[in-house]
Amino acid sequence: MNAVDTPAIAAGAVGMAPAGTPPLVVEHVAKSYDADGRIVPVIGDLSLTLNEGEIVAIVGPSGCGKTTLLNTLCGLIGADSGRIRWHGREISGQPSGVGYMLQKDLLLPWRTALRNVMLGLEIRGVSLSDAEERSHVVLDKLGLHGFAEHYPTTLSGGMRQRVALARTLVNEPDVLLLDEPFAALDFQTKLLIESDTARLVRESRRSVLLITHDIEEAVSIADRVIVLTKRPTRVKAVYDIALGTERTDMIAARESAGFVDYVRRIWADLDVTRQ
Amino acid sequence: MDASATFTPAKPDAAADEAADRAAARLAAHRRARRRATALVILSQVALLAAFLAFWEYMTVFDKQTAFMFGSPSAIAGFLMTMAKDGSLWRDTYVTGVETLLGFAVGNVIGTLIGLSLWYSRFVSRVIEPFVIALGSIPIIALAPIIIIWFGTGLTSKIAMSTLSVVIVALVTSYKGAVGVDEDQINLMRTLGASKFQIFRKLVVPASLADIFAGLKLTVGFALIGAIVGEFMSSSEGLGHAIFKAGSLYIIPKVFAALVATIALALVLTFIVGKVEKLLMPWRRLS
Repeated sequence: MNAVDTPAIAAGAVGMAPAGTPPLVVEHVAKSYDADGRIVPVIGDLSLTLNEGEIVAIVGPSGCGKTTLLNTLCGLIGADSGRIRWHGREISGQPSGVGYMLQKDLLLPWRTALRNVMLGLEIRGVSLSDAEERSHVVLDKLGLHGFAEHYPTTLSGGMRQRVALARTLVNEPDVLLLDEPFAALDFQTKLLIESDTARLVRESRRSVLLITHDIEEAVSIADRVIVLTKRPTRVKAVYDIALGTERTDMIAARESAGFVDYVRRIWADLDVTRQ
Repeated sequence: MDASATFTPAKPDAAADEAADRAAARLAAHRRARRRATALVILSQVALLAAFLAFWEYMTVFDKQTAFMFGSPSAIAGFLMTMAKDGSLWRDTYVTGVETLLGFAVGNVIGTLIGLSLWYSRFVSRVIEPFVIALGSIPIIALAPIIIIWFGTGLTSKIAMSTLSVVIVALVTSYKGAVGVDEDQINLMRTLGASKFQIFRKLVVPASLADIFAGLKLTVGFALIGAIVGEFMSSSEGLGHAIFKAGSLYIIPKVFAALVATIALALVLTFIVGKVEKLLMPWRRLS
């Protein structure tokens, strides 16, 4: 049995939608906050589509409401207007089959690496032995064989983030929402985890929406990069990235011919002015 | 050819062994130094205590008046011996220990259960907040006469006093732990599909353990104070009873002797709580 490559959760959701329906469609979403009686618009008017098996990166200037967008997509907060459709359907609350990963690994310190990975399966009532077996498989795939019984406090930052990635992947989500998951890692670790992430999601054709402030990361890993404006956030530009290399090796991607050009153009779009 | 192939690897191995030996030696030296520092701290503590007791003994040995007012270490030791021999020391310590433990347990169970479950409802916790603050500000000693009237002069009234000294602190510390759980962590649980009860059981309760144990360590002392105050009011046995009786008869060394037993009891109980904490939270030792 190869648990990881069988998108069990995805099957239910995808099965109902006609073939070719993108897993996530966002149409004209807007969101404002109430700060001391003042209405602060965070997301102005945002539309985007995430196709099956696609990695889309969203970059934007600091404080442009990227995290608000992610929380809105997850159903953790409601949008003021617009439509969010998962597999063609609007839903209230949390969408199923969506994995969520942040810069903070959010590992539970009282659980070993293995038990942290098992968390989602446990919540869904998967039998303990089954959950253990599937978690071991994912940990092994991420090079954490032999660290299953370690507590998070005894693991390095990179290993902790790998455990967090395993915790996300073991639930076999068809869509991963990643909010700067690699931002706190050192450069070498970051490249390795990015490569592993790209390899695992591409080989099982999962879709990824990656929110990042790191343009190089966005260009090297994504099929498409969406550049956002300052608040209130809109889409400023969209780049289809064609690097002509295997898109699971971040070092090769960064060395490819077109890489620097994309980075330069997106950097210009972000319009970061020195003050 | 064969011989050299089997022979050559031996050299780097020997070098590696030597390096490992050196590393082990460095580690052992480091450990020795740390142990020596700890030993010095303990030695200084013993010396400080000895100096204090010697000073006390010296001040009282020539002066009957001072000896009467302050007792002396040797007289205290004498009383401890006679109390141990006639069994009253063990009996009183046992009685106060039982009162303290039961009050500690009842107060912490009730307080922690309420404190944790308040996490469930922001509304309920806001409603009862002023009442909790009001109850927490009552000096427990002021309740003692009423407690005696309600629960009689036996064991129950001491447990009630002890429980009351503990319950509000336990409630507040566990509630603080529960509401202090990282919002992102809760969101993660929600995206994993957790129900509110699952979030409570798998996240909030274990995350609050550190605060709960901080409360437990604090309330060991409070439970003991409650039991002793209860014994002061009305009792026929217990360390509080012994202190009160010896005090009213002006037998100062006996007061101190009972106090020594009280301190010993407090230390033992605190030690047990610390051990249980380490046992229940093994991941904290590793950080």
